[in-house]
Parts: sequence; C-alpha cells; structure tokens
Amino acid sequence: MSEILIKNAYVIDPISGVNGETMDIAIRDGRIVEDVGGGAEVIDARGALTLPGGIDSHTHICGTKVNFGRYMSPEDMRAGRTARHGYMHATSGYSVPTTYGNSYRYSRMGYTTLLEGAMAPLEARHTHEEFLYTPLQDTMANALFDGNWSILEAIRDGDTKRVAAIIGWFLTAVKGFAVKLTNPGGTEAWGWGKDVTCIHNPVPNFEVSPSEIITAVVKANEMLRLPHSVHLHCNNLGKPGNYTCTMGTLGLIPDLNKKRQTLYATHVQFHSYGGSGWSDFCSKSEPVANVVNMRPQIVIDMGQVMFGKTTTMTADGPMEFNLYRLHHDKWSNHDVELETGSGIIPVLYRRKNLVNAVMWAIGLELGLLVKDPWQCIMATDNPNGAPFVRYPEVIALLMSKKYRDEEFATVHPDTESRVPLPAIEREMDWYEIAVMTRAAQAKALGIVDIGKGHLGVGAEADVAIYPVRADEVDPAVDYRKVIEAFGKTEYTIKRGRVVSRRGECLVDGNNTTIWVKPKISEEYNMANDPDFIAKFDRYYTVRMSNYPVQDEYLKRNLCIETEAEL
Amino acid sequence: MMRVSLAVRPRKKPTIPIEAETITPASFLEGAEIQVWRGNRELPLDEVFAVTIEGAADRPEDVEIVLSGDTSRMKRVGEYMDAGRIVIDGDIGMHCGNFMSGGVIEIGGNADGWLGREMQGGTIICRGNAADYCAAGYRGGRKGMTGGTVEIFGNAGDFAAENLAGGTVIIHGNAGDMAGVELHDGTLIIKGDCRRPCGNMSGGVCVIYGIAYDMLPTFRKMGTEIRDGREFLSFTGDIANRGKGNLIVKDCTYQD
Amino acid sequence: MIIKDTVCPFCGCLCDDIEVTVEDGKIVATDNACTLGTSKFLGDHRMKSPIRRVGKEWKEISYDEAIDYTVDMLLDADRPLLYGWSGTHGEAQCVGVHMAELLKGVIDNTSSVCHGPSILAIQEVGHPGCTLGQVKNRADIIIYWGCNPIDAHPRHLSRYTRYANGFFLENSFRDRKVIVVDVRKSQTTNLADEFVQIKPGCDYAVLSALRAIVRGKGDDLPRTVGGVQREQLFRIVDLCKKAKFGAVYFGLGLTMTAGKYKNIRNAIELVDELNRHTKFTISAMRGHYNVYGSNEVNTWMTGYPFGIDFSRGIAFYNPGETTAVDILARKECDACLIVASDPAAHFPRPCIEHLAEIPVVQIDPYANATTAFCDVQIPVGITGIDAAGTAYRMDGVPIRTKKVLETAYPSDEEILGSVYARIQEVRQP
Repeated sequence: MSEILIKNAYVIDPISGVNGETMDIAIRDGRIVEDVGGGAEVIDARGALTLPGGIDSHTHICGTKVNFGRYMSPEDMRAGRTARHGYMHATSGYSVPTTYGNSYRYSRMGYTTLLEGAMAPLEARHTHEEFLYTPLQDTMANALFDGNWSILEAIRDGDTKRVAAIIGWFLTAVKGFAVKLTNPGGTEAWGWGKDVTCIHNPVPNFEVSPSEIITAVVKANEMLRLPHSVHLHCNNLGKPGNYTCTMGTLGLIPDLNKKRQTLYATHVQFHSYGGSGWSDFCSKSEPVANVVNMRPQIVIDMGQVMFGKTTTMTADGPMEFNLYRLHHDKWSNHDVELETGSGIIPVLYRRKNLVNAVMWAIGLELGLLVKDPWQCIMATDNPNGAPFVRYPEVIALLMSKKYRDEEFATVHPDTESRVPLPAIEREMDWYEIAVMTRAAQAKALGIVDIGKGHLGVGAEADVAIYPVRADEVDPAVDYRKVIEAFGKTEYTIKRGRVVSRRGECLVDGNNTTIWVKPKISEEYNMANDPDFIAKFDRYYTVRMSNYPVQDEYLKRNLCIETEAEL
Repeated sequence: MMRVSLAVRPRKKPTIPIEAETITPASFLEGAEIQVWRGNRELPLDEVFAVTIEGAADRPEDVEIVLSGDTSRMKRVGEYMDAGRIVIDGDIGMHCGNFMSGGVIEIGGNADGWLGREMQGGTIICRGNAADYCAAGYRGGRKGMTGGTVEIFGNAGDFAAENLAGGTVIIHGNAGDMAGVELHDGTLIIKGDCRRPCGNMSGGVCVIYGIAYDMLPTFRKMGTEIRDGREFLSFTGDIANRGKGNLIVKDCTYQD
Repeated sequence: MIIKDTVCPFCGCLCDDIEVTVEDGKIVATDNACTLGTSKFLGDHRMKSPIRRVGKEWKEISYDEAIDYTVDMLLDADRPLLYGWSGTHGEAQCVGVHMAELLKGVIDNTSSVCHGPSILAIQEVGHPGCTLGQVKNRADIIIYWGCNPIDAHPRHLSRYTRYANGFFLENSFRDRKVIVVDVRKSQTTNLADEFVQIKPGCDYAVLSALRAIVRGKGDDLPRTVGGVQREQLFRIVDLCKKAKFGAVYFGLGLTMTAGKYKNIRNAIELVDELNRHTKFTISAMRGHYNVYGSNEVNTWMTGYPFGIDFSRGIAFYNPGETTAVDILARKECDACLIVASDPAAHFPRPCIEHLAEIPVVQIDPYANATTAFCDVQIPVGITGIDAAGTAYRMDGVPIRTKKVLETAYPSDEEILGSVYARIQEVRQP
C-alpha cells in the first residue's frame, strides 16, 4: 500500500465542480481517497495550482506514420538530444521526438493521458509497440475507418448495422479506442492520386459520398455505445474556402448522445479558411464558431499553429501532397491497403508569411469565440500545428490579450485585414484553461467514469502541480509566469506515484493502454461472416488470423466493454 | 598572442577515435580544464596530448593552436570555431572545422571525411587530400556549407561540396564522383578532373578546369566561354530539377 | 500437426500463409513457402550449446559462462560495436538499443550494407510508398529496377505483382505491365513486358533523363543515355504517365552501385514528378525478414534507423562514420557483439581482419562464417520457428511471427535480457 497526502493544494477540478479551493488530496494505491493514514508521504503544494493530470485528446506520438516522420528527419533529431541519466533514457528530436522524448516532455508538462489521433488498423501492432515505450502516460488510439472497403460497401448498401458490426470487429481486433475518419472517402480516392472535393462528391468506384460515410459511421458509433464519439478530420483540410465544407459537415450531425458530444471535429483551425485562393485567404473562424455555439452535439479541438519548425503528418495523403507542391521540401506518403493513407512533410510556419499568420490567428479565434470551453479543446494537432511543447504558449495566448497584441505586432502586416483576432477581448481564466486542457478531454473521450480528468474520490490519482499561485498571479498581465508554470510541473503524479519533479522523470513507468470491445451478437460477428472473410482473404496481404493485435502487445491495459445494440 | 602546442602522446589503442571539439581557440582563453573523449571515456586533454602554452591572449583572434603527432584519429577539431588559428602538422580526423564561422584552419597533411561540414565562414586550407564529403552538409539537411572558403591542394573524395549553399570551395587536384551534387548556391572550382558533377544542381556555379567524366545528360549546353585564355563549355541545369545552375567545364565525356 | 498461417522468417516479404507440418518435435514439411523459406524452416545442424575458443580449440560452456564473458567484454570496451539485428525479432532489438545506450556503444544493423543508402535518400527527399496490398489491388504498372525478385524474393511476383489478381485487376497477368531495368538479363527480365538494359554505373544518368522527359524537357537529351535509346525512355515515360497506379521496386543493383543513395534519391524524385500526373509509389526490396523492423525499433527509441553512436551518451548518427563497415575498417571498435547476422560472409576484408583482432561474441543459432572470428558463440532459438516476436515486412506492416517448435533454446530476447540486466547491475546500481 502506498499513500500520498498532497497538502495545501490550490485545486481547480471542473468535473468535480471545484474552482480554486485550497485543500488536501489523499491518494492510496493509485486512486484518490477520502483520507490516508499518518504514514503517508506528504507533499506540500504550498498553494500551487493543482489540476487533474493533463489529457491530450488529439496527438500524434506513436505508430507507423509518426515513426516515419522520425526516420526521414535526422536533422530534426539533432535538436532535443539528452543522454541517459537516472531512470531517463536518451532522447532525441524536436517536432518528432523519440517515444521517450515524447513521454518525458509530456510528463514534465503534467500530462498523464494521451490519445494517438490516427492508427491504421493494419499497422496497429506498431502503435502498440511504441505505446510500451511511452511509459509515463496512459495511451489509447483512434483507429482509422475513412477508406475501409468493407465499410464503404456496407454504407453503399445502406446497411448501418453492418457498418457498426465491421467497426466493432476491427476495433476489437486492433485494440483501438475510438473511430477516426480522416478526410472520409478522400483517402480512398488518393489511392488513385485523386481526392474528394467536398462532402457530396462521390468516392471513385464505391458510389458513396463523404456525407453518407460520416452520417452512417456516426450512427454506427452510437449503436456500438462507444465511450468516445466519432473523431472526424473533415474533408478539404488546408484549402482556402474550406469553411463551407466544414459547416456543411457539422450541420449533418444529429444530437444522439446525452452524456457527450456526437461528433469530435479535430484541428478545426485547418478547416476554417475563407477566400477563393491563397491571395484572398482569410479567417472564417466566426461562422464556424457560431455553428459550434449553436450545436451542443459538437466538440472541436483548436489545431493551433505556432510559428517555427515542425513536421506535418496525417492520414490525409492528398492534403500532404498538395502541401509538398507548395513547399517543395521532402515528402513521404504511405497508403494502407483497403483502409487509409498518410503523408508527411516538414514545414516552417513563419510570422512574416501572411497565410501562416492567418492560420495562427484562426486557432486562437476558435478558442476564444466558442463560448463554452467544454466545446473547444486546446491542442495543436501535435506536431502538425506545432510540437506539444508549445502548449504553454498557446495557453498564455488564450489568457492574455496583452500577449496576443504583442505577438500580433510581429506578424505579417496584412494579417489584420484578414482576421477578427485583434478585436477579440476575451481572456480565459484558470478554470477555463483547466477545462480546455483536461476536463473537456475526459468528458469528450468518455473516460470520466474510469477516473480520468478529475480528482474526485475514486478517480485515478493523476495530478499535476504547477509552480504558480493562481490566486495571486494575473495571467492577463504576467503571461510569462503562465508559460513558465505550464512548461514544467513541480510534481506530476501518475497513478499515485510521483513520476516527474521539476522536469526530472523519476521512475521508469508502466502505462496503461485503454481500448474498447463492443459486445456484439453472433449474428453480427464478422469473424463468422462469409463475405467479409472471403474479401479479407482475397484483398488483404495479411491473413485474417494474423491480423488482430495479440495480447502480447498489451502489457498493462484496460478494456472498456460496451453493450452494442447489435 | 597565445600559442598552444598539442603533441599527441603514444596511445595504447591508437585507432580508437578521440573526439576533441573542445580544441578551439576560444576554449583555451577560458582557462577551464579541457576534456576530450576516447570512445565512451572522458579524459583530460593532457592525457592525450602533451600541452604547452606560451604567451597569453584575451581574445580568440590572438590564439594559435598547433597539433603535432598522429592526429589522423582526432575528430571534430575546430568545431564551431569562430576566430583564431589552428595549424595541424599532419593528417586530421573527421569533421574538422564543422560549423566553423571564422578564423583559419591549416592542415599540413590529409583531412578525413566531412572537412568543414556545414561551415558558415572562415578559411580551411588543406595541403594534402580531403576524403569524402569535403565541405558538405549533414544527413537529411537541405543546406551544406553556407559561407567561407575551403581550399584543397590535393584531391578530394566523393560528394565534395554536396548541398553547397554559399561560400567557395577550391580543389586544386581531382575530385571524385558527384562533386557539387545538389548544389544550391556558392562556387565550386575544380582544377583537375572529376566524375558526374553537379547532379540535381538548382543554382550556383561550378567550374571544372579538367575533364568532367560521365557528364549527366540533363545539362543544357549554352555555348562556350573563354577563361584564362582557354575555351570552356557552358551548361545550365540540372533540367531534371528545374535547376538554374551554371556548370562550366573544359572538357567532358558522356555515358551514352 | 499442421500449423497454418505461419510467418516465414526469411526475406522482407514476410509471407504469413505458410503451412508447417511438425512431427516429433521437428518440421518435416512446408506448404506455400518458396525454396528459400522452406530451407530455413527445414534447417538442421543447430549449434548445441554455447562455445568458447580456448587456444585453437572450441570448448562447450554453459549459458551463464557465456553471458559472463559477454558482459565483461562489453563493460571493458571503450567503443563496443553491437551489430546485426535484422534476423531477430523487435523485442530483442529493443533490448539491444537499451544496452547500447547504457554501455555508450555503437549499435548498427545490416541495413548499413544493404538499404542504408535508400534510407539516406529518404532522409533527403522523403518516400512516396504504400503497403504491398495497395500495389496488388491497384497497380497497372510495375517497375523492378536493379533487383531480381525471382531469386531474392521469390513470391513477390505471385503475391503482389505479376501474378497476383487484385480488387481492381481481375486478370493481373493481362492487365498489369511489368518493366524491368537492369544491367543484365535475369530470370526476372524474362517475365517483363519491357526490359530496359542499361550500362553498369549509368542508373543515375538514366533516372535524370527520365525526370527530364516527365518534365517535358526530353528534347535536350542526347540520343542514347547509359546505353538506352532515347525513344525507349520516352516510351517508358509515356507508359508511366498513362498508368492509373504505378509502383517502382528497387534492389541492391541501385543502392549499392556508383552514386548509391543519390541513385535512390533520383528514383524517388522521378516518382515525385510522376505523382503530378498520376499515382506512383516506390519501395525498397528489403532483404532480411526483419531488417525493416530493426530500422523501426531504432528509430522510435533513438531517432535514427541505423548506425547510432552512443559514445557521448546522446545518440549520434552519421552513416559512413558510425556504421559497422566503416568502424571495423578503420579499427575504431575494441569489442563486438554480433546478433542474428553473418558479417564475415559479407564484409570487406579489412573489416574481418579487425574482427580477428578484437574480442567478439556472436548470438546465432548456427555456426557460420563469423564463427571463425568469435571468442564465444551463444546459440538461440530461431525467431519464427522456436521463438515468437514482432517483425516488420518490407512495407512497414508489422506481423507477429509464430513459435511452431518447442525447444530448449533461449530466445535472443532472453539472452540479451540477461546480459543487459548484468550490465545494469554494474552501470546503474
């Protein structure tokens, strides 16, 4: 039995309804409890800001695509190199760090749970292997279904139950956590070097449109009663004028779930562009935020861009090729048979580049214009908008108009005529930041019930203590202190153990992989479906029996079983 | 003026490389103990060299370092050097003058690979031969050398001035295969012969006073020009790559 | 007993449809496997126990003694080299990386002598690739360049290209065109719809010419390039541009000939250029069944795919300097641990001479050419036969190999784990 008592913590815990109370937190055997005995290890927080452990609900940290980003970027690896010391292994890399680099840096920022945003089912084993070397955070993965042939065929045939059954089989087989659609239909079209232009544009050879894919998969997701909603990367990412497509997409979504949103739209910054080309490129954050404000069934994440070098990587193959044609730097692409695609290119976002400056503004505008912080999550689509180590700056920008104005003064002078940002006065408070960096993530992912994202009795003892007195510092003025505090915790506690102290990681760690298993009736069990099996055998290059991720790849893990309506 | 003499002491395992990026004029000014690495062991400088320091200086410009003995396995000497002078009597190991931005390195013998990698300024003179990747870039990087001068009096190995993006590289002898490959900007001058120069060149200038063997077929002949009283052929390319580089050769052969 | 869907641990195709018949604790037959795979499954004459060289004799020793020797050797070294790795599973490779990191040694895998140049090229310009099934189901044009799959990857043609029907190609043999580019005729060239014979050492020039043609600049080219008529090059480009989906596969004929990685870079940039017109992909024909896995493991753990030097604590990467052939030829290492490869059979003479001068331990199931240069050899189970673990196919698809035999041999992972644990006791108490 191990016990910790955190004394004098200035706690903000939105899910438990705590907003700035100085209190003690008792921990026993990895869980928050009412109280502990006299022998407990005492941590005196001295009034420092204490939050539930941070959760990133959309990041790219593990798997084939991420590793290819590393593989092709020895120049990126030259930054951020540290030697092995204590319990910490060597690390390398800035925008695509090694697994240990990711884990240590997230831990030092108080993050304890991470969702890998895009896992190709065929290559799921790879993601799970890397999870094992991401020791200080619990991990889970979105499985990609945007171009899955068997699903496209079931949608074409109007058989939503079959769609759900297939998703259930794949999710269970690959130990995935949620359903991801990346440029639905577009990744299949990219198999021919083509793309879909918007939600009503048909997918070649499959007679379905993105809107049909989205609506069917959203319904199927709810039939499976999955903890998370469909996680959508809309069509047309990064193209001027794409906001109409984004609004059309959000308009498709009914309100089907009482506990959480029905759709999680990711990195919406990249989907809120106006203009007919790059010359009249402008922000359309206002109409997009308005749609979100009117539709409680939608949750978005910002996809904030920060100036500097990074690596972009997504399952959206055609988008990356377009980006390559703009930048003419190196380009990687990796199509995955029967399922999805992916692309990678390095980019440099420059302040003095008008398009980049507008992108930077749009992310912040979404954060500030979406009224309810539970509906807009802070993220950079790491590393696409910026590496996650830039989160403290994003937080400070949301909290300080002064900081925004100072930054705005350094960007391309024409930015002002393209974006509403300078006129937005809103400054977020500590509570709203706590929502946008952990509580909203836990709720959106549907993991509050398993003890994530809050500090109520029974919760997982994942705690971040930041070296800042939230009751004394005015974040709107002292934004430097905000950046410093969120950059390095005083303590990061994971499952009741201090894993990181002032930036130094103290244990080797042993994370938990969270995955879902919908319970499906025999009638809808795809493992017995002759057509599914026949097509699998004929078109995949891996045998169906070798396809599922074996138990050997899950060391510590938590399976969430759901009662599917099938 | 400070003169630092470093004479290599006999070594039990003479082929294990020594990494000595600490040997720069600036580090001798600081007076701190200088460490070098033999494989995975860190050693004080005087365990590897007999160190003699004469005179004093208060700026790196006034420091001269002279290395003598078998320095062929000393890597990274003069890395990040910004001023002063390093004289190497004999051969020098890999990565001499990496990232150098100022000052002079003079090598009496041969230089091993990656001489002046990603150099930004200053001068490197090598009296002997330079091995592969002389004045080149790093793996995966877009830019190699961006400024300064590298002058080789002997021959250069393969991939000399790869990714050259600024500055001047002069090779008095022959260069190996693919000199000036991916050349972006700057000037490469080869007094002798070479093979397959300037593949994928996008800009900059390369002049070859000898024969360019196996010229690539994707350079467009623009005419002739007179240099030092002799007629040269002038090409632009690489047209495989939308290139606008200027390749000038005395004579050439093709792989037809 | 017949075990279905077994994974073949021979080449980078990593075929996972092999039927293995096991009788009396031995594999007696295989079905679906090619001759290379079959010979591996049916392999015999395994080394019985660890051996140590004493004078001119070999002496059998216990696993504990062999591990002791290995630990002492590695701890004493100023610059230990940990080489091989492509013939074992990922889990063992992970232990190897941790070991190199703690020892401050150099870890390199066999890609430095096969597709290392391909990796260097990818690091310069990226890699437009795809999984093998994407090619099987879609590609109407295949280009094999500098490789002979019939010899080296015998089922590549039947599973993925020439003879493999796919979703969009009901009659592959008829609907797919196969172009082979090579310096000489081979069994593979006989199957080609078009054979482009180029002069040795001219790949780069031919690739540059093709790029220029795709860009519409072909008229500036000479009449022949590298032994190929300009008309044939125009015809090839025309076929490529008209294709719906093209796939280029290249082998050591491109990576290991003059220019090396620049050849691959040029080929990749040709494919980039073709993508402006249609869909095209390019991929390396990786040799050892898990060489790609060792690249993957090294990359997520250190940031680099091969040739990683931990001497200074941090990871440093510079192929040509930190790669096994270069280190051995320059006599830079003072001890060597060899795992799941056979460098003495492939490395240049100066490298082998240095191996003879320094302490060497090899972890391998069989006596091989390298055994003659070892001080100790430790036999282990064979991944995919009597040990299970992860392997990455040439296209990056990870597959779990099976354990089909029960033997007393420890796995690579177990032996390395013991060595690592002992090193940790000393270096990280």
